[in-house]
Amino acid sequence: MLIDKIKKTNALACLECGKCTGVCPVSRFSRQYSPRSILTRTVREDFDSLYTEYDLWSCLTCKRCDEVCISNIKYSDLTQIVRTSAKDSGFHGKCSHSGAMELLQKTMTTEDLKQNRLGWVTDDLKISDKGDILYFVGCSPYFDIFFTDLDLSILDAAKSSIKILNRMGVTPAVMSDERCCGHDLLWNGDDENFKMLAEKNLEAVTNTGAKTILFSCAECMSAFKDLYPKYGMPVKLELKHMSQFIAEKMSDGDIELTDSNEKITYQDPCRLGRHLGIYDEPRQVLNGSDNFVEMKQNSKGSLCCGVSGWMNCDITSKGIQKERLKQAEETGAETLAVACPKCQIHLTCTKKDDVVKEKFDVEIRDISSITLERMK
Amino acid sequence: MSVNKSTNKFQEILKNDSATLSFTDHIKEKYKVGWVNPSPCMEACPAGVNVKSYISLIAAGKFHDALKVVRERNPLPGICGRICTHPCETSCNRNEIDEPVAICWLKRFIADYELKHPMPKPEKIAGKRREKIAVIGSGPAGLTTAHDLALLGYKVTIFEELSEPGGMLIAGIPSYRMPRDILKVEIDYIKDLGVEIKTNSRIKGKNAVEGLIQKGFNAVFIAIGAHQGKKLNVPGEEDFVGFLDAVTFLRGVNFDKPKKPGDKVIVIGGGNSAIDAARTAIRLNCEDVNIVYRRTRNEMPANDAEIEEAENEGVNIHYLAAPVKIIGINGKVTGMECVKMELGVPDESGRRRPIPIKGSEYVIDADVIIPAISQEPDLTFLPASHKLNISKWNTFVANESTMETNIPGVFAGGDAVTGPNTVIDAISQGHIAAESIDRFINGISQQRVQHPTRKFETEIACNLKTLPKTKRAEMPMEKVESRTTSFDEVEFGFDEAQAIAEAQRCLRCGPCDECYTCVPECDKGLAILANDEGDCLLRYPPNFPIHENQNEILQGELKSTGKGTIKFQVNPIVPTVKEKLCRGCGDCVKVCEYGACELVQIGDEVFVSRINPDICRGCGTCVAFCPSSAIQPGHFTSNWLEFKLQNIKPKTKNVVVFSCNWNGSTFDLNTGKTNVIYINAMCTGRIETSFILKALELGADGVLITGCSTEECHYEFGATKFIETYDKTKKLADMLGIADKKIGYEQIPSADTYKFIESVKGFIKQL
Repeated sequence: MLIDKIKKTNALACLECGKCTGVCPVSRFSRQYSPRSILTRTVREDFDSLYTEYDLWSCLTCKRCDEVCISNIKYSDLTQIVRTSAKDSGFHGKCSHSGAMELLQKTMTTEDLKQNRLGWVTDDLKISDKGDILYFVGCSPYFDIFFTDLDLSILDAAKSSIKILNRMGVTPAVMSDERCCGHDLLWNGDDENFKMLAEKNLEAVTNTGAKTILFSCAECMSAFKDLYPKYGMPVKLELKHMSQFIAEKMSDGDIELTDSNEKITYQDPCRLGRHLGIYDEPRQVLNGSDNFVEMKQNSKGSLCCGVSGWMNCDITSKGIQKERLKQAEETGAETLAVACPKCQIHLTCTKKDDVVKEKFDVEIRDISSITLERMK
Repeated sequence: MSVNKSTNKFQEILKNDSATLSFTDHIKEKYKVGWVNPSPCMEACPAGVNVKSYISLIAAGKFHDALKVVRERNPLPGICGRICTHPCETSCNRNEIDEPVAICWLKRFIADYELKHPMPKPEKIAGKRREKIAVIGSGPAGLTTAHDLALLGYKVTIFEELSEPGGMLIAGIPSYRMPRDILKVEIDYIKDLGVEIKTNSRIKGKNAVEGLIQKGFNAVFIAIGAHQGKKLNVPGEEDFVGFLDAVTFLRGVNFDKPKKPGDKVIVIGGGNSAIDAARTAIRLNCEDVNIVYRRTRNEMPANDAEIEEAENEGVNIHYLAAPVKIIGINGKVTGMECVKMELGVPDESGRRRPIPIKGSEYVIDADVIIPAISQEPDLTFLPASHKLNISKWNTFVANESTMETNIPGVFAGGDAVTGPNTVIDAISQGHIAAESIDRFINGISQQRVQHPTRKFETEIACNLKTLPKTKRAEMPMEKVESRTTSFDEVEFGFDEAQAIAEAQRCLRCGPCDECYTCVPECDKGLAILANDEGDCLLRYPPNFPIHENQNEILQGELKSTGKGTIKFQVNPIVPTVKEKLCRGCGDCVKVCEYGACELVQIGDEVFVSRINPDICRGCGTCVAFCPSSAIQPGHFTSNWLEFKLQNIKPKTKNVVVFSCNWNGSTFDLNTGKTNVIYINAMCTGRIETSFILKALELGADGVLITGCSTEECHYEFGATKFIETYDKTKKLADMLGIADKKIGYEQIPSADTYKFIESVKGFIKQL
């Protein structure tokens, strides 16, 4: 029963204090949006109106509200439950680019899928089919094509990560049959296709014989670590974000970074931070120089990049992104380090938006790329 | 050209082709237009064939549909496509620019097309009613009446004296002009409706006609034609052997073993029969074939093309010459004395009367003389005691509005009433007779049916003077040398490309194409009609399926008029912006080179896009390039797309064809087992990566996009932008492991339906 699932999120314990709405980044830039109101309507089982509600799809599931809720309500989970139920009833939100991303994800559920996804692997990158360490690339090869106009160099994260591993003497396994992790589909209410992707990925991972999986994408890591087990598919391998791997190697003395005068700040991806609780390691990596600076909102209070699951990419998203870029500028940092390709895409999109009056000079780069550049 | 106010408004409503197309897309049934003003070609056709409709269907490659339109008013399309005098072409508005559309040959093309691509046999309806009708004669008039009455459910029996049905079509027209297989197919079609044709069955006896009624027939239609050649009435005609009237000569050639009549032949007359006789004589190896005609070529009633071909084949035509007397030796014809004529004042027929020039007599040698001056009905089957009124020209007297004779239940039509006349007139009278017979049997009074005499002025959408001249398609023909020795058909007919190109010359006079695809037939309870104000009215269907995204799928809005009908208003093509979704990024502003998109500040640092409907051309490129899907098109929405893609069938080869409005078509391509889904947008600029991926995800085996080239794009930048989308999509597809051949893109010259068909066929083939 839907209501039973809702009860598990603690929703019925809501005291209507409004703290959730107070911290919600969406509410801050969209006057109509209120997590509290959506929660109230959910508890009242007012589903018919909720399913067609634009704002059901506005939630970033960034867990900012979950952090502050005094009743320990899992609002993000609640959102996902209602979306799944809406989707089952034939409703869905407005996906940007007319759903092209969603379609790419769905296409990857095809049984006999034969991708050509390793075209970007140049000769200087040593990879293998099998190995103890698996590098999970994520959808960046697709983003690289789709977002050509943004000039993202989005594959730099993967290329740099592999180079770092090669420098460590590791030839990582990279899967030619890797599929989308299913993260977005699940959060948008598509359980079924999420499960299919999860199964296929786990099967492929098993074939590599890997003991450790490394990720550059916070969402992929969150899928493997949180979501797959939640849907009955426990992953018994060691799962690490590249920032964790680098931090570890740094403390072991295997990686040494040169000093740099470059001022750097860091964008916590919600999936890596609030979802997985990884705040320190990226900072350890970037703190190699004294020039690391925090933005006004950071760590647990960090501001999301503004869009999740390619849904409702609107003026509110742009407002959040502008605010985040402003915060980065305010630190005086030259570089904004990111640990998730989505953060990179969304923040770059607003950075390059001609309509935005402020000009943001901050360079948005992945944490592995920054590391590689400074490795001794 | 007068501009009719109501049609103008109708046109306004339907001014976007995509709007009309979307009707068809939604209501996938057949449509029938409740029409306003006919086009001049339809107006000119004695049989009332909706010419423009079938020409536009040919232009769209819908050959079977076109043939169905013809058959509604003309059961003999292949025959008329060869020998009709085509008054439609005479009235064609293209005459004012260059040459008329080759309507007649186009009709022939669709009939021939059916020979190669047969349609299902018609359903047998005849016999659903008890009443029996006798038709005497199986020429065009008789066949048409039988056809119409069979469709009404009557049992019809045709009595034919000759061994083969067809009347003058088979007896009088040589096979090089009227191939027998076409004749057979069209007659078989009528037989398939349930009509019985009894050949070798001459009606005779003491009460020949009335006897049929006594035998249990409820009505009789006399359509015996005019097969009796008239006499020349010149001295010597009765004195010598060597005379053979044209009809007897041709019947002999067509039915018996063809035999050379003599070495030197004179044919007298200027009609098609005279030409047929002369050209037949050439084919029988006669050495010297002459035609003697008393007026000039301009007055000659035979078809121009026929005269030209006769001359090409070596017939000597003596214009302005008339027979004076027959010359002979030993009882045999040796020649004919002629006199030269000059033209005087016009006579009652409007033609200038020929006057002999004294002293200009000369002799043409001949051993056979074939008079082809005129024919009259052969009335010898009637008993002396018959009570039917007969005119002084030996024809049956019948009311021209009802085809009734003086005897109740007996009707007459065709050449038997009019004397020698055209096939299309015979068909016209056949229709009239069938309607009257139906009324007679049902006891409905025979009101005088008024045939429209008023001329409609038909609006043409553009100024004739500014239209470019185009060349009328030429009929491919057998070479003169090889055809004079054979009775094989001389004209080969158009091929598909020629037919489509020729049909595209049609100016579509009037407000729309009358393609019959916008109004469904009533079995589904749906019909669109245009009222006097030109509004489209949808008859409110009792169980109209209300779809959640109804208006998007209809691409318009249904509003109740409160009078049992609902008004359908087509959505404007201009898109609107959903402010809530708009990021204010200005991508649309960058895309639209017309400057229709602009950013408007609505708050502190908050901009949204607005689309200026006066500037917008409706191409939809901005919709495709909006990152947040905030721009809502008036047509071609994503819900509509999904609705269209529902036509993808499981366990079938599916191909989705996205086309721009200017070169796509939804013709009935003979694609075998392939299910082709045609989706038209205004411009390829509107087509997104997601559409292509969606089609493939839903099970399409291939997706083809066709559109104008960048130079020819009707929206200047749409095609250029689509190429970006296409490149991106191809790269993504390649990464996804989707085979290269599954996604195709072709640039096609605007409105080149033939190229379009070829592209689709080619794409399916390579899949």
